[in-house]
Amino acid sequence: MTNPVTSDPAATVGTQVGFRPPAGPVAPVLPVAVDPGWTPGAAVERLAAERATGALRGPAGTVYLVDGLVTHAESHRAPDLATLLTTSGRLDPDTWQEAVHRFGPYARVGEALVEQGRLTRGELELCHLGTLYDAACFLLDTPATLASWTFAPGMRHWLGPVAAVGAHRLRREAERRRHLLDRIWPSAQLDTVPLRRTAAQAPAPGRHARRVRPPTRRQYELLDRADGRRTVAELARLFGRSAFATTADVRRLAAAGLLAGPGAGTAPGAGTGSGVGAGCAAGVAPGVGPGPGVGTVGAVPVPRGPGGLHRRVPGAALAALTGRAAAPSAPAAPPLPTVPSVPAQAASGPRTTALPLTAADPDTALLIRVRTLLEARL
Amino acid sequence: MPGIDECLSQAMAIAGARAAGLIDWSSGLALGSVGVSPTGDHDTTAAEATDLVRAAVEGATFTAAEDGKAPLQDIILTAGRSYHLLCFIDTVFDSRLVLHLWLDRAEGNLAGARYRLQSLAEELVLG
Repeated sequence: MTNPVTSDPAATVGTQVGFRPPAGPVAPVLPVAVDPGWTPGAAVERLAAERATGALRGPAGTVYLVDGLVTHAESHRAPDLATLLTTSGRLDPDTWQEAVHRFGPYARVGEALVEQGRLTRGELELCHLGTLYDAACFLLDTPATLASWTFAPGMRHWLGPVAAVGAHRLRREAERRRHLLDRIWPSAQLDTVPLRRTAAQAPAPGRHARRVRPPTRRQYELLDRADGRRTVAELARLFGRSAFATTADVRRLAAAGLLAGPGAGTAPGAGTGSGVGAGCAAGVAPGVGPGPGVGTVGAVPVPRGPGGLHRRVPGAALAALTGRAAAPSAPAAPPLPTVPSVPAQAASGPRTTALPLTAADPDTALLIRVRTLLEARL
Repeated sequence: MPGIDECLSQAMAIAGARAAGLIDWSSGLALGSVGVSPTGDHDTTAAEATDLVRAAVEGATFTAAEDGKAPLQDIILTAGRSYHLLCFIDTVFDSRLVLHLWLDRAEGNLAGARYRLQSLAEELVLG
C-alpha cells in the first residue's frame, strides 16, 4: 500500500465495531455500588471505569455494559432496532420474533440474523450503532439522579455483541446533541408532549428569523401525523426514524411556527388572527382561563386547538350519553391548559349543534360533525 | 461480509486516500473514522461535513428532481491539493449516512475513487 497513513481499524474513533467481549469470566462484577445521588451519565462513566458488566436500568430505559463498554441502550423515547427494521419492511416481524425467541436465550440474535442471511453485517452494525446512540443520548443526558435506577451485575443483552461505545464518548455526544437541538429551537418541552400542527405564522424574532426553508418531504410527513395526540417518540416509532432526527425536525417545524405542543405560547391567534380562530377564540384560546363560551351552548369552555378541531376527550361521548357531567378529569389544568375538561353540555342537546359554530372552515366543520356522530354511536 | 471497519479499511486502500469516515448526517456523529483528520479531530470533520451535506440536501434546488431514498448520490468537493468525496449510503431502514473520503489530489484519481467508494457503500449494506 502506497499510503503512508495507517488504516489500522484500532484507529477507528471511539467506536468499536465488531466488538467481542473478552472470553472467559468477565472481570469484576460490581457490588452494586451505584450512588443514588449520581446522574445516569456519571454512573455509566463510573461503571465503565470499573470495567463493569451488567445492565443499568432506570424508569426511562436501560444501558448495558460489557467490560466497561456500552454495548446496548434502550429508551422509551427512541425506537429500537426491531422497530427500525420492521417498519421499513427490511425484516418481517415474524422473522424477528422467531430469531429473538430462538437465539435470544443465547444472546446471539444479531449474529444469527447475519448468519442466516436475513441481514448483512453492515446493516446490523449501522442499525445497532444508530439505535445505541439514539437511546443512550436520551438516557444519559439528564440532570435527574439515579434514585430509581438499579444495576444488575452480569446481565447481558439478548441481541448479543455487535458494537460497543465508550461511556465518555456517549456522554459527550449526548451533550452535543442537546446543544444542537437547543440551537434549532430551545424548547425541550416539545420533546415529550403531544404535538399539533399550527397555522403558519411569521417566524419568531431573533436569531431564528433567518431565511426559513419550506419543510422537507420528511417534515411534511411529520406534520401530517401531528394530530395533537402523538409525541415525538410516537412519531419516530410510527415512521421508524431515529428519535434524534425526529426531534430535530420537530424543533425545526416549531421554529417555523408550524408545530406546537398543547397550549404552547406560540399558538396562532395571539396576534396573527388565524382565519379559524378569529371569530370564536375569545373564551377558548389556550392559556386563557375558562370564560363564557361564545355563542355555544352552556357555559362550558370547549378547549380547542387553533387548527379548528377540538381535541377528542377519551370517554367524552360516553359521559355525554350517561348524562354524567363528569367532574373535570383535569385538575392538572394549570400546567397543561388545553387538557380538555370533559364537555358537560350533554343536557343541552346534541353537540352537533354547538360545535360547528366554532369552525369557520367547512372541511373542519364537516370533520367535526362526522366525529361527533361517530362518537355518539360508541 | 464487510462491516464498518472493513469498509473504512478498504476506503483507505483507495489510491491517495488520506482519511475515511462514516458519518451520520442527521446528527453529525462520526460512526467510524480512519486516517488523519484535516482538522486534527475526526469529530470536527464529521460535524463540518454534516453542515455541507445538509446545505445540499435541504435546499430544493439539488433534490427536487430526485425520488430515490437517499436524497443524493454524492457530493464532490475539489480543492488545490485535495478532493473530498461524500457518498450517500442507501439503506432499507431509515438512516442518514455518508461515507467521507479525503483524497490527496496529486496521488488520487477522482473518477476511480468515486466509483470505488460507491461500490464500498453498496457492499456495506448489501453484503
